[in-house]
Amino acid sequence: MASLANRVAVQLFRRLPWLADLWAARRSFVEEGGLPWAPLRRPLAQCTVSLITTAGVHVTGDTPFDMRDRNGDPTFRVIPTETPASSMTITHDYYDHTAADRDINVVLPVDRLREARAAGRVGGVGPRMYSFMGHVDGPHVRTLLDVTAPRVAGQLLEDGADAVVMTPA
Amino acid sequence: MGLVQRAVEAAGVPTVGITLNRTVTARVRPPRAVFLRYPFGHPMGEACEVAQQAAILEDLLRTLETARPGAIVEPGYRWRRHRFG
Repeated sequence: MASLANRVAVQLFRRLPWLADLWAARRSFVEEGGLPWAPLRRPLAQCTVSLITTAGVHVTGDTPFDMRDRNGDPTFRVIPTETPASSMTITHDYYDHTAADRDINVVLPVDRLREARAAGRVGGVGPRMYSFMGHVDGPHVRTLLDVTAPRVAGQLLEDGADAVVMTPA
Repeated sequence: MGLVQRAVEAAGVPTVGITLNRTVTARVRPPRAVFLRYPFGHPMGEACEVAQQAAILEDLLRTLETARPGAIVEPGYRWRRHRFG
């Protein structure tokens, strides 16, 4: 259960977008040099597109994200793409996911991507989706950078992903 | 999210991400981003608004096809005011 302070903060950030800018201005971020760049290698109509979300989605019954650690949770969950929305849950106390609880496509546009495939806009949908909980701080940043993010990248290559669409909370 | 995006791109897979906070994105510098002035919790818009979600996905796909390195594309939709489809 989210603490009262968390719930108040969530509503403040939702209603006062400039608060987030203030927060961002005072916080330090990992600002690595250079810009990684991989060009699209073929037309999207021939590409397998995969999804990653940082909105804390996971399969119901799977280990929830750790909301007790103040530094967040750098781990990720795999969601088979065929998982029905009714079998997905969101564990994330730092944003208001009322809308996403009603319609998972608000944070994970899997049905829209399937429609794009049906329309021939993309060639295919990756077999697995990958989910983080977005809030990662302190020592967990290194774990994310050195362990979990590269692992997801490797699994995407195994999946034959030609492109990735990412959605935050 | 930008850190994960950069790692995936560095592994050779092109990525595009939505951002709801331009300040953070300008600092983390993901390869391609679509910026929406939407509240947190609504990167793809409103629940069950299929036309809106489809339009945002199309913006993401087009950004994959056309963006230059480091681009932050802004479709300019006004929250709950823009009429989709």
